[in-house]
Amino acid sequence: MSKPDRYVGIDNDINGGMTSIGKIIRDAWVFGLVPETETCEGWNLAGIDALLQKVNGEWDKYGCMVSQLPEPLAIRHREIYAQAVRKAKAAGWSGEHETGDEEA
Amino acid sequence: MAKTYDAGVKEYRETYWMPDYTPKDTDILACFKVTPQDGVPREEVAAAVAAESSTGTWTTVWTDLLTDLDYYKGRAYAIEDVPGDDTCFYAFIAYPIDLFEEGSIVNVMTSLVGNVFGFKALRALRLEDVRFPIAYVMTCNGPPQGIQLERDILNKYGRPLLGCTIKPKLGLSAKNYGRACYEGLRGGLDFTKDDENVNSQPFMRWRARFDFVMEAILKAEAETGERKGHYLNVTAATSDEMMKRAEYAKEIGAPIIMHDYITGGWSANTQLAQWCQDNGMLLHIHRAMHAVLDRNPHHGIHFRVLTKLLRLSGGDHLHSGTVVGKLEGDREATLGWIDIMRDSYVKEDRSRGIFFDQDWGAMPGVLPVASGGIHVWHMPALVNIFGDDSVLQFGGGTLGHPWGNAAGAAANRVAVEACVEARNMGRELEKEGKDILTAAAKNSPELAAAMETWKEIKFEFDTVDKLDVSHK
Repeated sequence: MSKPDRYVGIDNDINGGMTSIGKIIRDAWVFGLVPETETCEGWNLAGIDALLQKVNGEWDKYGCMVSQLPEPLAIRHREIYAQAVRKAKAAGWSGEHETGDEEA
Repeated sequence: MAKTYDAGVKEYRETYWMPDYTPKDTDILACFKVTPQDGVPREEVAAAVAAESSTGTWTTVWTDLLTDLDYYKGRAYAIEDVPGDDTCFYAFIAYPIDLFEEGSIVNVMTSLVGNVFGFKALRALRLEDVRFPIAYVMTCNGPPQGIQLERDILNKYGRPLLGCTIKPKLGLSAKNYGRACYEGLRGGLDFTKDDENVNSQPFMRWRARFDFVMEAILKAEAETGERKGHYLNVTAATSDEMMKRAEYAKEIGAPIIMHDYITGGWSANTQLAQWCQDNGMLLHIHRAMHAVLDRNPHHGIHFRVLTKLLRLSGGDHLHSGTVVGKLEGDREATLGWIDIMRDSYVKEDRSRGIFFDQDWGAMPGVLPVASGGIHVWHMPALVNIFGDDSVLQFGGGTLGHPWGNAAGAAANRVAVEACVEARNMGRELEKEGKDILTAAAKNSPELAAAMETWKEIKFEFDTVDKLDVSHK
């Protein structure tokens, strides 16, 4: 079976969407680069990468730090990510996934 | 009946078992854990190990008169029980310093563990510890810069340094890889790191990686006002290629490079360390493949020996294990080899698995790197155990932060600074860790989110290689 070359969409992603691409999409929602209804389902890698570059450009304005976001964006970030973490945990994600394959 | 072990013409113990021998200050001393074949007397097998790791094979080629056997031979001078294990015993062997080439870890290893591990009289053999006399230590180049000079180069004092391994998840391009480094460094890390198996594969060739990572370092430095670094892995198929990559790292202004000293080999490592010293570069050492050698309690080479060899061969950082976290190691044993990395004089301490006094003279120390399966909740224990002269390397504990790499880095930076400040004020970190982190998180949403992400994780695997004294 060949590997899909299209993104499954943040709603269908593994770990309840707590993935590298999931984070790009949520940041894009925070900065208003795409509407929160956009799951990126069916996007190809070039599309995701182009979105990543835009997200990076936005973060550069605030030194990549959530604590440096202006209040409206900070609130938006907090709401979007609180919901995402709840959803990911409900889907079985935990921090353990992130430290599971590390070196000594 | 199966054929039993036979020494041949003459028993080894007649020549190599010398219980009355007093080791000289200049001797290299080794402690082996010996598991003999059934029916072989301890003195005989200890003597055989001494012979086969020194001049044993020479006498069959040349005559004793030509090689001055009595001067060059290894001497088995003591035998001890292993606590709680009747299948094996400790054999202590003294080697005259002139048996070894100056400054050559290659030669030391070829002699001490070259052929003897396959010897028929043995079921298993483990090199537990080695005492290098100061006379030999002084022939070795050692760490390129050392702990104090590294702090001066980085202008960072009074706290552990923070790092993170960048994982090439999803086949990161060199550009996106550099971006991940930038985010980690911008968020508060001192270093990011190449994964040990990232060398120069088709998905990310070394030169492109070096260029994009250097751009990330410069950007993070400009924005934070701090010195930053990334362990550029120069481990390569040949030492010529390794040196080419090291030269390029220097050319673009990188402050630190990385080598896998076991897979890369002693010769390459010593060459690279000397070059780093000559060129003002820091050298991070990864220990990929170490568990092949050091994990079996009865056979192989203990990590404390691999630690001593690295300090002699040269490296400024060395992965040490974490004591806490997913990849937990025996706490006392780990503290033992951390001392071996950093201290100028280490006393014999069996409770930490250290069999000999070790004088390092003026040779600089190596920073232990705690890496693997750790996150912010481990920070109080890590600061307490490792102290300031260490690198705490949070990989998944940084990149796994739900808000992203910079947030993960910031969480770890706030946590380490909170722990150091609390310790400096006399608070007990491991007892009050939760309160310390909770108070710090009030001013750091990144830390609060990290504590929420990882709070429920517990790692409860047993340690495979325990100290022998713990079996008592």
